[in-house]
Amino acid sequence: MLDFFQSLSDGVLFGSTYALIGIGFTLVFGVMHKLNLSYAAASVGGAYCGLLVLQVFAGAPPVVVFFCAFLAGGLLGWLVYLTCFHFIPISNPLATLMATVGMLLLIDEIIVHLTAGMPVGYPAMFDDVMLRMGEFTVRGDLLMVFAVSMLCMGGLLALLYKTRLGLATRAVSQQTVAALLCGIRVGQVNAMTFVITGLLGGIAGAMIGASVGTLSPLLTTPLTTKGLIVTVIGGLGSVPGAIIAGLLVGGFENVLQQYRGVTERDLYVMLLLFVFLVFRPGGLFAPKGGRD
Amino acid sequence: MKQIAVAVSLAFAAVGTTGALAQEKTIKIAGFGAKSGVVRSFGVNSEAAMLAAADQINKAGGIKLADGSKAKIKIDYYDDRCTAEEGISVARRMAGTDALVGVGPTCSNVAEPLFGILQKKVDDKSDSGMQFPIFSDVAIKGGLARISEWSFRNVPNEMTMYSSLFYWLKTQHPTLKTVFGGVEEDFAHSRATWYVVMKDRAIANGYTVAGESKWLLADTNFATQVREMKKANADIVAISAHPFSTCGVLKEMQRQGVKPKLLVGLTSTSSLETMQGCAKQAEGMMIPTSFAPVNKEATAAANATAKFKGSADLHSMAAWENMFILKQVMESENLSGNAKDLASDRRKVRDGLAKLKVTKGLLGDTKRTDDREADKPYLFVQAKSGNWVVLHNPL
Repeated sequence: MLDFFQSLSDGVLFGSTYALIGIGFTLVFGVMHKLNLSYAAASVGGAYCGLLVLQVFAGAPPVVVFFCAFLAGGLLGWLVYLTCFHFIPISNPLATLMATVGMLLLIDEIIVHLTAGMPVGYPAMFDDVMLRMGEFTVRGDLLMVFAVSMLCMGGLLALLYKTRLGLATRAVSQQTVAALLCGIRVGQVNAMTFVITGLLGGIAGAMIGASVGTLSPLLTTPLTTKGLIVTVIGGLGSVPGAIIAGLLVGGFENVLQQYRGVTERDLYVMLLLFVFLVFRPGGLFAPKGGRD
Repeated sequence: MKQIAVAVSLAFAAVGTTGALAQEKTIKIAGFGAKSGVVRSFGVNSEAAMLAAADQINKAGGIKLADGSKAKIKIDYYDDRCTAEEGISVARRMAGTDALVGVGPTCSNVAEPLFGILQKKVDDKSDSGMQFPIFSDVAIKGGLARISEWSFRNVPNEMTMYSSLFYWLKTQHPTLKTVFGGVEEDFAHSRATWYVVMKDRAIANGYTVAGESKWLLADTNFATQVREMKKANADIVAISAHPFSTCGVLKEMQRQGVKPKLLVGLTSTSSLETMQGCAKQAEGMMIPTSFAPVNKEATAAANATAKFKGSADLHSMAAWENMFILKQVMESENLSGNAKDLASDRRKVRDGLAKLKVTKGLLGDTKRTDDREADKPYLFVQAKSGNWVVLHNPL
């Protein structure tokens, strides 16, 4: 039983990074009804950019690296918007989708070329802290990752529901034409959505780097897959859904790894996805009555 | 007037002939390996080693051909992305050029199907397989050269190396009894090395395997696997995985306070990558390797490779050795170096490689086996203060 709770707790804590990646996917989908498949790659790219600060100030504290990753993520988000959405006809859904696939591969390959594919050590906070309750343990760094992720999600929800930008974002996501008629600059809101999700992505990438202790371009594809699964299970366009689904997928896969082994783990996660697609295609938090 | 015209024509013809004679022949060698994707460093290092070796050979005059002239070596390096379909496509492309021989690939999952498209047995008229010699430097999974008589390898024999390592550990640490294995399940090399080599050799040397944990190449969370490792409480932990996941596991071991008495790693992990990713956590890890800059020649090869922006390790230095072995073969087999003799020259290279019984390597003589594999000299290295230092030379 202890193994079960231990696996569940590790998985849920790590799942908070999946939730951050899922939010990025879902927010863009909610606002623009488009998938940005380069999101996880840009997030890892942001985390790599955060390491640049160590080139300038060797020995800079991890929090500075995380902050730079956060900013770089925002910048990358804006660049992704410009290259994959701004100049490409939005009316053609396949064009933007393929553009983001291209961007995913481009970012991945840029990272590979700059690092020769070598893993790079990533700074962490509280990585030497282990909370113990008898045999049960909780990693200090994962707890920190969880806390930062929750803080970011709280900040995002506050931004969406307490600010004019959030109001505009929700208006665009609900009815673009009506938002336009109300004088909202849809293009600007779209760009800001990419910057905000990019900022979140940067911090997600940094948190993943911190929790693994190493960063590698190997991370981009699995994170893209996990992000998409989380988005579908949570409900396309639902931020709370992405949060819950991220934690759920993290816990689910870790428990299954414990009992069924690593080779079957992803099989069950995919099965979970199919179950949702068949029985609850709208995900956990399907928007009521669909959208117009 | 007519005589003058004839004289001028003859003079021009003579100049032309002299020019043609003076024009040096070129022997093309095609290198191939992963130059993109997460194993890019392997291709980059192999290419640098090949270029450095070719530079050295060319500066010393080049390759002596059958007619007594000398030819310079030219290297063309192709990216196979570490995928089987790309590797096969690259091999077909190489065979379509005037390259005499291919040196590569990086990945065993490329080498295995690629060797499968080569002619199985030479002179077999019923086999339309490709007749192009391939001399592998990196792909390390055991026994692959057996697939075709056109395939040759200069990669270390892991079976011998780990057998020797576990034997040495037994003599040095007789009180240690148990081994726990950690294996990266989705990579041909790491998987084969644990199940076929490390595990088998540990048992053969009297160790009890206390258990094994599995993970995937791109995994990010190793808590469950390390808990299994902790429960087993084995004396030795042997990790058969590549640097990214090795580092992830070592960091998780540190967090969970797993401190085995000895740590053994995969041959490919004795590289700069591990030191960049987790030097502190890898401290003390022991690995058998077929290269370390322990003598003048090996140090010079490493320095020459560094000038071409490559790093010297057991894989890239095999590419370096391959170049000098090929030079020896080309000279002993009296190559013509002419375009019209390309097929026969390729055959001569193949036959020359097949004849070799011993080749000169950076750490000493390498024995060639009848199934076209190498039995290379090796030594044990250990991670110490961010570097790989020689721990023991069993030979």
